[in-house]
Amino acid sequence: MELLIQALLNGLVRGLIYVAIAVGLTIVFGTLRLVNFAHGAFYAIGAYVGLVVAQHFGLVPAFVAAPIAVALFAIALDRLVLRYFYDKGPTLQILITFGIALVVEETIRLIFGGTTQQYPMPPGLAQAATTVGPITYPTYQLLFAVGVIVMLLLVWWFIRGTTYGLVVRAGVRDRIMVQLLGGNVQLASTIVFALGAAIAGLVGAAASPIYSLDPDMGFNFLVPSFVVVVVGGLGSFWGAVLGGLLIGELQAITTLVFPPAADVVIYVCMALILLLRPQGLLGESEVIRQS
Amino acid sequence: MKQTLSRGRFVAGTAGAAALTFGTAPYVIAAPTKELVVGLNVPQTGPYSDQGADQLRAYNLAIEEVNAKGGILGMPVRATTGDTQSKPAVARDNAERMIDRDGAIMITGGSSTGVAVAVSALCQEKKTIFMATLTHGDETTNQNCHKHTFRRYNDAYMSAQSLARTMVNKYGTGKWFFITADYAWGHSNFDNITSVINPKGAKVVNNILTPFPGTTDFSSALSQAQAAKPDVLCVIQFGGDMVKCVNQAASFGLTKSAKILCPLVDEYMAKGAGANFDNVASTAPFYYKYHAEKYAGAKRFVEAFTKKYTFPPSNGAETAYADILIYKWAAEKAGTTDPAKIISILEGTKFQFTKEVEWYRPEDHQGVNSCLVVEGLPLGERTENGFGYARVLEVHPGESVVAPVSSLVCKMETA
Repeated sequence: MELLIQALLNGLVRGLIYVAIAVGLTIVFGTLRLVNFAHGAFYAIGAYVGLVVAQHFGLVPAFVAAPIAVALFAIALDRLVLRYFYDKGPTLQILITFGIALVVEETIRLIFGGTTQQYPMPPGLAQAATTVGPITYPTYQLLFAVGVIVMLLLVWWFIRGTTYGLVVRAGVRDRIMVQLLGGNVQLASTIVFALGAAIAGLVGAAASPIYSLDPDMGFNFLVPSFVVVVVGGLGSFWGAVLGGLLIGELQAITTLVFPPAADVVIYVCMALILLLRPQGLLGESEVIRQS
Repeated sequence: MKQTLSRGRFVAGTAGAAALTFGTAPYVIAAPTKELVVGLNVPQTGPYSDQGADQLRAYNLAIEEVNAKGGILGMPVRATTGDTQSKPAVARDNAERMIDRDGAIMITGGSSTGVAVAVSALCQEKKTIFMATLTHGDETTNQNCHKHTFRRYNDAYMSAQSLARTMVNKYGTGKWFFITADYAWGHSNFDNITSVINPKGAKVVNNILTPFPGTTDFSSALSQAQAAKPDVLCVIQFGGDMVKCVNQAASFGLTKSAKILCPLVDEYMAKGAGANFDNVASTAPFYYKYHAEKYAGAKRFVEAFTKKYTFPPSNGAETAYADILIYKWAAEKAGTTDPAKIISILEGTKFQFTKEVEWYRPEDHQGVNSCLVVEGLPLGERTENGFGYARVLEVHPGESVVAPVSSLVCKMETA
């Protein structure tokens, strides 16, 4: 029983990372129609920016600097490269963003080396555990889970409760109509792209004390996050949340019961969803757009 | 224009892009005559790129030294290099180009047993000597042994025997918990360690197999380890996987409550784990601080390396450096670059460069040389920016820990 509860906690922590990356992917796809394989690179850049800042100034400044740095990088990337590919279709978008991801990965390797590294943790937090009844769990992991949930609620509020969020949501429905009505879709798009990147960057920095850093880390989380988007429903915020938690827990429980299947189970889950509910758990049916 | 951007295409694109892989061509210079070309086939990108880069440094140092003393058999040595990316197929292609196009008379490199086995098979086909460097899996010189392949680095059998023998006196009757990478190397280490500790009465409470490669999350295995309250936590993982597992073990409090063992470590892994490597016991075939104090050849190598690159060599670098010197020695003793004659020298003739007097066994071409059991120093006591990471607990002579010839399944070709 204790092991099951711990497995569920493990799944929650991992699932929340998938959720955070998938939310970025899905809102960027919803707004910009961009299939972004460089999204995992944002996660890795956030982690390494955080590492440098944490080594000099500590953990909290690292968690502030990482999302800001990644958002600025994302804006530059969007304005200089990606905007030329918005209308080019997913094949070209995948190739260009996959290429960017590889360049980022090898650049990180050039600067920081390929060795797995870890954050300098404050001694009080490094091996601190919280005990509730028979369950003992690392305190940092619990703080991480609470932090990510708060962040996701803020993102949800931004999308539902602000004017920018309104433009974003309207842009998802009909980009041209929003522009005709005077909405600045361009600005909203840039903000959404930077926001999605900042979320990935922050989670990259915050998850690194748990999972350590290496230059491949972006891809390690990106591919399951794409699965999460497919399972949850493309363009749906709550779909990403539901899909991420489902995949995270499914992996954690499979690891407990039959570890060799832990990597395969998420693809089995994706295949089942595609067969039974092709639009994803909370996605809307497919729309063919005319332009 | 009608543009569809459908979910189906998104999914198809996702699958397609996930399948993309990239190969790169090795760096090549046109080959003039009257020089010897050696192929340096190491990972320059991918998970073992740090180990690959350090081996390349050592190769370059060795080749400079050899050329300064007149080359091999009077001919200057030139290197052609390739990036294996730690992928067997890429490594094999590199080696093939080095042999066929550049005329390499010897291939050396490694940093993964998969790569070593693939290159070894090719070199056997091409009748070209292969000096395997950083490969630890038994199969390089046992299940997949070949006449043209020589491996000097300790194998998994030697490391596991050494580690278990040193630890068995203190922890022999305790509870042991294993987290093992689920492939040949992991299984071989697990079997060897348990074969030493089981007769002493040690209890193996669990062995959790983790997918290889690329497990990033060890929390499930570590939760179970935490619940089992073991005396020893044996982390049978290598490279980044080992670093991740040890770092996560620390967050579950296991580095404090249990003795952590890993079968093999190098300087880069110890640096990566930082304070979490404090008191972790492991093995290494070479440790620059220990060997430089003990052997003149090691002292010269460590000083020259540190002078050239400003930091000391890792154990992978040492094996790369030694392989060049061993090849030169064997070729000059044979008086030719004819592989058959060089093989007959390498099989069993004793030599000494950076360690004690050592040799390759004729039966499987495994190097017989010592295995150090080391223990991580507390972070504050480490020197040279983290490279001076360990104290040596015990040195096991190679012949005492190497797999008995009678146990080998190696079927060596005659040529």
